Amino acid sequence: MTVSTAVFYLVAAITIGSAMIVAFSRNIIYSAFSLLGTFAGVAGIYIFLGADFVAAVQVLIYVGGILVLVLFAVMLTHRITDVEITNRAAGRIPALIVVGVLVYLLAQTVRETPWAKAKEIVYAATTAKIGDLFLDTYLLPFELASLVLLAALIGAVVISRKEIKE
Amino acid sequence: MTDVNLVPLLPATQVLLTALVVLLLDLFYQEGEKGLLAWVSLLGLALCAGETLFLWGSQESAFGDAVMLDNFALFFTQIFLGAAALTILSSVHYIRQAEIHEGEFYALVLFATTGMILMAAAKDLIVFFLALETMSIAVYILTGIWRASGRSSEAAMKYFLMGAFATGFLLYGIALIYGATGSTHLNEISNYLIESPEDWPPYLIGGALLLLVGFAFKVGAVPFHFWVPDVYEGAPTPVTGFMSVAVKAAAFAAWARILMHQLAPLDSDWAFPLWVLAIITMTLGNLLAISQASVKRMLAYSSIAHAGYLLVALVVGEEWGGLPLLFYLLTYAFMAFGAFAVITALAETEQSPEDYRDFSGLGFKHPFLGMAMTLFMLSLAGFPPLAGFAGKFYVFRSAVLSGHLALAIIGVLNSLLSVIYYLRVIVAMYMEEGGAEGKSFRQAPYLYIAIGLAALGTLYLGILPARALEWSRVAFLSLD
Repeated sequence: MTVSTAVFYLVAAITIGSAMIVAFSRNIIYSAFSLLGTFAGVAGIYIFLGADFVAAVQVLIYVGGILVLVLFAVMLTHRITDVEITNRAAGRIPALIVVGVLVYLLAQTVRETPWAKAKEIVYAATTAKIGDLFLDTYLLPFELASLVLLAALIGAVVISRKEIKE
Repeated sequence: MTDVNLVPLLPATQVLLTALVVLLLDLFYQEGEKGLLAWVSLLGLALCAGETLFLWGSQESAFGDAVMLDNFALFFTQIFLGAAALTILSSVHYIRQAEIHEGEFYALVLFATTGMILMAAAKDLIVFFLALETMSIAVYILTGIWRASGRSSEAAMKYFLMGAFATGFLLYGIALIYGATGSTHLNEISNYLIESPEDWPPYLIGGALLLLVGFAFKVGAVPFHFWVPDVYEGAPTPVTGFMSVAVKAAAFAAWARILMHQLAPLDSDWAFPLWVLAIITMTLGNLLAISQASVKRMLAYSSIAHAGYLLVALVVGEEWGGLPLLFYLLTYAFMAFGAFAVITALAETEQSPEDYRDFSGLGFKHPFLGMAMTLFMLSLAGFPPLAGFAGKFYVFRSAVLSGHLALAIIGVLNSLLSVIYYLRVIVAMYMEEGGAEGKSFRQAPYLYIAIGLAALGTLYLGILPARALEWSRVAFLSLD
């Protein structure tokens, strides 16, 4: 086992371990903090795949933005630390059945798929390539993303502004 | 270099421009003058409708085939434009009374319409996904736009959470399909499916099934329907009409283009789940509709049941089911929109009248509303010679012709079952007294025009369906 394989398993373990804490912790603050491990672990996996840009974006957006937002929301919400009401699991048996079926399906898929192994991963900068694709093959989706953002922006204004009563 | 051809984007751009113009004009008008914005929106929609007529028959694609302007896309564009125009007409008075900001309301309706038009034209899974999000975000906001109503905010929250959940399924499905085929482009995916038959990795099937689940959420098919009644009930009534007609049509349009047409080689893998889905959607939708006390909630369940009939057309498949699917969506648009518009006409500002009791005696006090509601109810139940009958007839006929006899029989039985709750409204209107007394009926000429148009459409499609059928046939055949 080479060093990189060992590091890969370590990163995978951190990702899955903290994801499990997110799901199973009874305290929502612990859940929110362990999201950090999940997001960072996923960024690590992107690096293994040679996707440097996506990894950087993952750190910037998820670790730097979304996680902080989640933490703010959790910390600023009144009485959310009250363990009794925050994170209770309901309907365990149906959930267990659904999860069992899903795990079986996923395991079967992983087992049965003839996975092709990449000969060698080239660690080269992908940013320029992504930029080219955005202005070429994916020009339309790139522009449409701004439309989605505009709709979300207007929506946020409509939903959150103060109603002025005359 | 990708080919930049803007013609296929013309209808969507036209609607988007109208939305932006409405947003900007909103800044310059005083509170009392904002009614003008409705006319600006309608003008934009009318121009776009003219463009679709002008472009009819074209077969143009652009941006490396990411969007396709064919008759299929134009057919659905026309449905969306009609639904948006009727929604705007029927909400002019409603939103003024509910103190909803007019500029944003119309702009969001137009944004949602832009997303729908792109959904029907998308030939690339990423474009489809972004268009779906544009539509969904605008509709989430529209659901919660009545800030003074707690139910509206609650509905928006539920819709948003459920919608985000469904989006997760769709995106995971798209990712798996991309992983298996190496492309998000529908033509390349279907080429892959045809060139290497039966050699598909298992997760390709998984991806297609996840896509199916995502679509089932969006159309409100039964195991994934639990958001529908609450959201339909809580949303402002004109928005409910818009959702039940246009959002549903958009989801079915994408379903027909992506799963039914382009991914058709995979259909043996989802035929059975879809078959089950169709049956439980029809049956549960109808059974639950019977026990509702509120008419708006009853219509929500009835819209689930109608999604079930539409699923029958999807089970039947491309060869037989395409024309009935399109035609049914067209007929459903008029009658469902009309029914919700009549409820809009009854609604007071604070508490909407939705009980069957609120309809008592309506037929005598407001003959026009009573007659229109009777027409819509009979059509939804599937009585000849109304639009609903013609739509159901072609769906069930296609099921019989393609050998899905069980499905057709269950569908017809369900349709009989639905007569119970549709007739209950008519009975309340003509055979009970009192009730609606004291309810303020809006003096809303535009709303009445919208109801009248929906009623005319319901009658026309029922009595003279030939042209619309031909239109649906041409539209479906244009899929390549």
